[in-house]
Amino acid sequence: MPYWYYDKKDLQTTPSFQDAISNETENRYRKEGARFIIDTGSKMDLGYNTVATGVVYFHRFYMFHSFRTFPRYITACCCLFLAGKVEETPKKCKDIIKVAKSLLTEQKFGTFGEDPKEEVMTLERILLQTIKFDLQVEHPYGYLLKYAKCLKGDKQKLQKMVQMAWTFVNDSLCTTLCLQWEPEVIAVALMFLAGKLSKFEVVDWNGRLPKHTAWWDMFVEDITLELLEDICHQVLDLYSPQTQASGGESPPPGAAVQPKNERKPLPVTPPASASPVAPVAAKLNAPTPIKNGAEKLLPPKMDMRFYPPYVYPPVPYSDYSAPPPTSMPPASLPPPPLPRPPLVFQEPPPPPRYPQVSVPPPHYFAPLRPPPPRPYFPP
Amino acid sequence: MSAESSSSSSSNSPTSVANMNNVSALFQTAKKYEELNVIGTGAYGTVYKARDLHNGGQIVAMKKVKVPLTQDGIPLSTLREIALLRQLEAYKHPNIVRLLDVCHGGQPLDREQLVLFLVFEHVEQDLDCYLKRAPGPLSENRIRSMSFDILSGVDFLHSHRIVHRDIKPHNLLVTSSGRVKLADFGLAKTYDTDMKLTSVVVTIWYRPPEVLLCLSYNTAVDVWSCGCVLAELHLRSPLLPAATDTQQLQRIFRLIGRPSEREWPADCSLPLASFPPCPAADLRALLPRAHPQAIHLIQNMLVFDPAKRLTALDCLQHPYFTDNPNL
Ligand SMILES: Nc1ncnc2c1ncn2[C@@H]1O[C@H](COP(=O)(O)OP(=O)(O)OP(=O)(O)O)[C@@H](O)[C@H]1O
Ligand SMILES: [Mg+2]
Repeated sequence: MPYWYYDKKDLQTTPSFQDAISNETENRYRKEGARFIIDTGSKMDLGYNTVATGVVYFHRFYMFHSFRTFPRYITACCCLFLAGKVEETPKKCKDIIKVAKSLLTEQKFGTFGEDPKEEVMTLERILLQTIKFDLQVEHPYGYLLKYAKCLKGDKQKLQKMVQMAWTFVNDSLCTTLCLQWEPEVIAVALMFLAGKLSKFEVVDWNGRLPKHTAWWDMFVEDITLELLEDICHQVLDLYSPQTQASGGESPPPGAAVQPKNERKPLPVTPPASASPVAPVAAKLNAPTPIKNGAEKLLPPKMDMRFYPPYVYPPVPYSDYSAPPPTSMPPASLPPPPLPRPPLVFQEPPPPPRYPQVSVPPPHYFAPLRPPPPRPYFPP
Repeated sequence: MSAESSSSSSSNSPTSVANMNNVSALFQTAKKYEELNVIGTGAYGTVYKARDLHNGGQIVAMKKVKVPLTQDGIPLSTLREIALLRQLEAYKHPNIVRLLDVCHGGQPLDREQLVLFLVFEHVEQDLDCYLKRAPGPLSENRIRSMSFDILSGVDFLHSHRIVHRDIKPHNLLVTSSGRVKLADFGLAKTYDTDMKLTSVVVTIWYRPPEVLLCLSYNTAVDVWSCGCVLAELHLRSPLLPAATDTQQLQRIFRLIGRPSEREWPADCSLPLASFPPCPAADLRALLPRAHPQAIHLIQNMLVFDPAKRLTALDCLQHPYFTDNPNL
């Protein structure tokens, strides 16, 4: 069975790289392709699962092919088209193309060729072969909600944290994280990040055992703080001005996560009160002028990292002092109108079904149509 | 995989996909398997024995299925079924044949159909062969363990909302160590897309009454078919061979007794009166060597009303399996 996780070196020596496309450019292509799938999917009212599945196909596809051979926007369309069928939210190929056309410049749409639908159909088979018919993809969303259900603490803050984590998961689609880590790990990392940013400190959780030093120990083994930080930075890098400017220096996935400054050693046996996440807490809280003076640790350019350049309406970032809007990167990402978790986060939280995505139950159960009568030949 | 190696042989400028017939290598991934010989031809495709050239020449079984393309490419039902098969594979259930790979061959620009290759682990023989080759009656323990294997596989499928629909000795594979694995499931909808080879013999011997009567059906169909197969393990020949749908129903009623007016489904197009009344036969007389608990189990699987049939899970918990056989 195929294995879809790569180390950073693999991610730097992709077919595109071997085809003389720099890592920076490739990352930009990936980001643009993913963003385009998100935008197209949202415009067509496709659910977050379908959109995310399409994006994962997209990232996997370019682990085998160069962006020079396969232009990104038509591949993106094909990924969304296939994901729609697999997730049982099918859209007609011609409708996807229509929306794509409305979202792209004439020049970009030109890469779709003479007969765009035919191109997408042909590409569908190349895509299937490339992703080895491994069609079912899991995403962090479900884990996010599952994990949140176990966390104790102020309901409102928890809800805020989950919503923020959700938007980080949406945005993480624009990175190659889905090629590096399982959805469980990404969910933990982005909840961790959202917890820092929304100041929701998890001190207790259901199912806690003495051996747990942090809530995620309950779900994923051997997660280190380095790893969590690495993942958070890959997402936060999306918001940094350098990567915003198109064609600007976009660090390769590896570089993005190099330790930026001297880090405190991780606490080995953190008591629950001295949160096990202290070192990162210091860093993540740095932009907010707070007591511990941790900002000294951070080079100034780091400041932007911790502020998503846009604010989702239900996620008031007002808890901490956001930088003035003028300091936002001009090319900030528009808020993707992707579905968000339930606004009211009750106990138990509703299933990940907001907004309603009509997913019919699998068709493998009763009643099935009886097979047509079969011819008989005496044995 | 050729898809991987061809990635760097790119043209210089972004070209449209249709111009890329030179990447037809992409479609030829079936080439990584060398076909050796045909193992069998079923109603929906041919199974080949093949060598996996990329995996040290490992012998595999490749099922070739032709899928008609629609206006919107590969049918949703086929994609869903493949996705589900791959998902099931993650469980590596011991009584399910391993699905090693899925790929497609055929003409890259063929708009009519897609040729799918499902690559499975190769298993020594099927149960039909096994029973034919058996020198004498199977031992009670062998029958019990094979029965349990079959029902475990079926219960696994049912717990994942898959109805096999075609359980029969041809679709049950027997490993060299005598374990049974289910094959050939999960593509019911793909098969329904009329790519059937009409010339192929299709057996109806394992079909339950509700299917023969064209009523709606569910997982209970598989329990019926398993009941027939379990009996066959004792008999080493089919329990209910018949030639036509009507004869098959008559054969069934001669075994389990014709249902009463009250049991006869209201939505059935055939009147009960079209079948001559007859009492149930004595299964013990038919399977004289069988353990009494085995008889009891099979009797409760071969029940006319699907709702009153045991489920696969019920079967696994039947005393036939749970009681100490030596008592
Ligand atoms: N994994 C496998 N290893 C070895 N032999 C296999 C394997 N899968 C299938 N076969 C053999 O190939 C034969 C043909 O299989 P196929 O499913 O095409 O036909 P069938 O089961 O006879 O008919 P149907 O299509 O109606 O199920 C089977 O009877 C079995 O003997
Ligand atoms: Mg078969």
